[in-house]
Amino acid sequence: MMAEQKFDTNPYRPIQSTGAYRRLMTAYYFMVKHPSWFGKKVAWITSGGPVEPLYAMGALPFYPENYGAMCGASRMSASLCEAAEHKGYSHDLCSYALTDLGSYLTGKGPIGRLPKPDFLVCGNNICGTVIKWYEIQARAFHVPLFFLDTPFIHDEIHEHTLRYIQGQMKDYISFLERELKRPFSERRFEEVSARSFETISLWKEILDLSRHHPAPIAAFDAFIHMAPIVTLRGTRWAVHYYKKLKKELEERIKTKTGAFAREEIRLIWDNIPIWYDIRNLSRLLASHGAVLVADTYTSAWVLDDLDLTKPLEGLARAYAVIHLNQGLNYKIKKMVNLTERYGAHGFIMHSNRSCKPYSLGQYDMRREVTRLTGRPGLIIEADHTDSRSYAPQQVEKQILMFLEIIKGKD
Amino acid sequence: MRKEISLLEVDKEFKAITSLEFREMASQLPGDRVPIGYFCPYVPEELLHAAGALPFRLMGFPVKMSHAPAHLPPGCCHLVKSSLESLLQGELDFLKGVIFTHTCDAMKGLSEAFAFQKRIPLQFNFMMPAHLNSERSLPFLKEEIVRLKTFLEANVGEITPQGLRASIRIFNQMREKVQRLYHLRMEWPGRISGSDFARIIRAGYLLDRGRYVELLTKYLDELPRDKEGKSGHVPVYLIGNMLHSPAYFSMIEEAGAQMVSDDLCSGARFLRLMTREDIDPIEALAERYLTNFLCPTKHKGAQAHIETLLTEVEKSGAKGVIFLLYKYCETHFFDYPDLKSSLESKGFPTLLLEVEDPSYSIGQLKIRIQAFVEMLSPI
Ligand code: SF4
Ligand code: SF4
Repeated sequence: MMAEQKFDTNPYRPIQSTGAYRRLMTAYYFMVKHPSWFGKKVAWITSGGPVEPLYAMGALPFYPENYGAMCGASRMSASLCEAAEHKGYSHDLCSYALTDLGSYLTGKGPIGRLPKPDFLVCGNNICGTVIKWYEIQARAFHVPLFFLDTPFIHDEIHEHTLRYIQGQMKDYISFLERELKRPFSERRFEEVSARSFETISLWKEILDLSRHHPAPIAAFDAFIHMAPIVTLRGTRWAVHYYKKLKKELEERIKTKTGAFAREEIRLIWDNIPIWYDIRNLSRLLASHGAVLVADTYTSAWVLDDLDLTKPLEGLARAYAVIHLNQGLNYKIKKMVNLTERYGAHGFIMHSNRSCKPYSLGQYDMRREVTRLTGRPGLIIEADHTDSRSYAPQQVEKQILMFLEIIKGKD
Repeated sequence: MRKEISLLEVDKEFKAITSLEFREMASQLPGDRVPIGYFCPYVPEELLHAAGALPFRLMGFPVKMSHAPAHLPPGCCHLVKSSLESLLQGELDFLKGVIFTHTCDAMKGLSEAFAFQKRIPLQFNFMMPAHLNSERSLPFLKEEIVRLKTFLEANVGEITPQGLRASIRIFNQMREKVQRLYHLRMEWPGRISGSDFARIIRAGYLLDRGRYVELLTKYLDELPRDKEGKSGHVPVYLIGNMLHSPAYFSMIEEAGAQMVSDDLCSGARFLRLMTREDIDPIEALAERYLTNFLCPTKHKGAQAHIETLLTEVEKSGAKGVIFLLYKYCETHFFDYPDLKSSLESKGFPTLLLEVEDPSYSIGQLKIRIQAFVEMLSPI
């Protein structure tokens, strides 16, 4: 562990809206924990699943992945993964899934026993992992599972693929009508979709603010403040919250106040955060004047191409083309784009032991992005939530060497 | 049959093709067919065959990793790692094309890695739907088959309806023969050794399929029936990946067991790909993927895999089940705990073996299988 003093050479400026963020997430988890008090049914849903129809039908979504992140950040994940492994699940499986399975098996975690789902909604636009994971939970809880199949886009999306997904969106609505025993309201759905769109636009604008020098919000903050875009997109709460956050950050821009007092090196982050070590890594970087200004994880919730004139079709398309459902060339372009737009000096890639969709292709990506931008990239090995095979000292050493290279370049 | 061949020669031909490295196989392949690589039975081989291609299955090789680690993270299965290694070593340069299909996340990444290298002139991604019991899947799948057909016609050769029907016939014949091979092994335990069996199955994915049917017919017809096979082998069922390496099959046999049936991606699952010959061929190719054939990367309801496996295991007469899984194969390892408990509750003991490169750790695996077989044997 680095000396505290060293970290303090570049003070972090806490975001004031964090208080509101905490209240928001506490309220959300409170509802999820006690759905019957609010007359709600709970659906477990994957992070890339279309949540708008759920909110429009009055159901409450619970995101095991977001919960996994919470377990990771509160360093509870390793023991939950162990519990799942004890049941026979392999250590090599996605640690979000293992955390969730462990939490279900032990009843432990930051919010105690998880809310029992009334049904499950799984979209494979993020990975194939979730298919298996949700099948397991469907068996464990004896609840119905809706599966939205979004074929991977290696190069471009075909017309018949789009039709296939749009057809399934209709099936999704019928499924919800059956499970929730109420008719689907086109009007409510349009309202929710409009709010979702507004939330996404706000989030996009917030992330975009970090193009300013100094960046008013660092990616490590964005990792925290992204929870509402995942869990509450489509609700009024999320819109209010992001308006507040945006206002605060715009103020910062006016006064040229950065997330940190000093910002000498701007970096891009690729992959899911290392949840259990983000504070430490953020402080380590900051102590050397380095700030993560953008990343590929929080921006994954910026649905491009959302056509609101036909919300159901528009959503089908938007969910089909998200970051993780696209091939290497798309990802390279995105990294190049982030590096250039945000004026980054380099990038750090987290090679994530247990998430294949984010981690396969990173080595080629690193070489290619460097070739195209002239900016160096560093690959560090970790896992998003399970700290057991993480070697912090080695990672710290690699980061320091990397920063030296960047300093030497400029 | 071109000329009368002896059983010995049949055996030799099976052995010849399966004992070669990829690069050496190139010279053995039929000159009149365009070699197109593929990994997975979700690629409709019949279509490739009808276009004049030789569908050449890439099944992973025991290969020393030197280039792949610079491109792939360590957490990929051996099939994925070794296939990229073979590509980077130039072992696959003889292929004119490669067809990937949508299965697991690692395969998706491998397809991207292959495309990035641009070493193989043609590449196509066939998007097999992941949802098998949705009414939306059949129309989508048919359009994908047509898209593949268009690609093959533009790059390999024309596919006529008669040609496609003829190819479907050949592959169905192959499946009938392989089915007989399985039956023979059940009837005569030990008559066809495990390593021979693995070799024959493997050859079927590499040789010209017409030739393979000829060889297999000869083999099945002429296999001497007078000699009794070794008895006393404990029948086991094998669940796992694409593992037709003779080493594993010998290992099981040497431990006193015999694999009577399996759910290997390169094994008996292939038999469930029988294609109807009385309907439109495109329809028939699509339909079988949604009805009979089930790979754990696909979703057909939460219980489908367990139910399919329980029925198959019960039917096989096996006394126990061995899971032979590639390390890092998420798909199988997610299914494993529930499958294990379902099988055990029906009275089938199970053993889990995790493997990487088949050339490693055979000794250790053998000891574990021996202990398992002893437990299954009557006292
Ligand atoms: S494998 Fe990766 S994308 Fe899929 S759930 Fe796990 S962390 Fe998310
Ligand atoms: S299904 Fe398993 S064995 Fe097959 S390629 Fe994927 S990870 Fe490898």
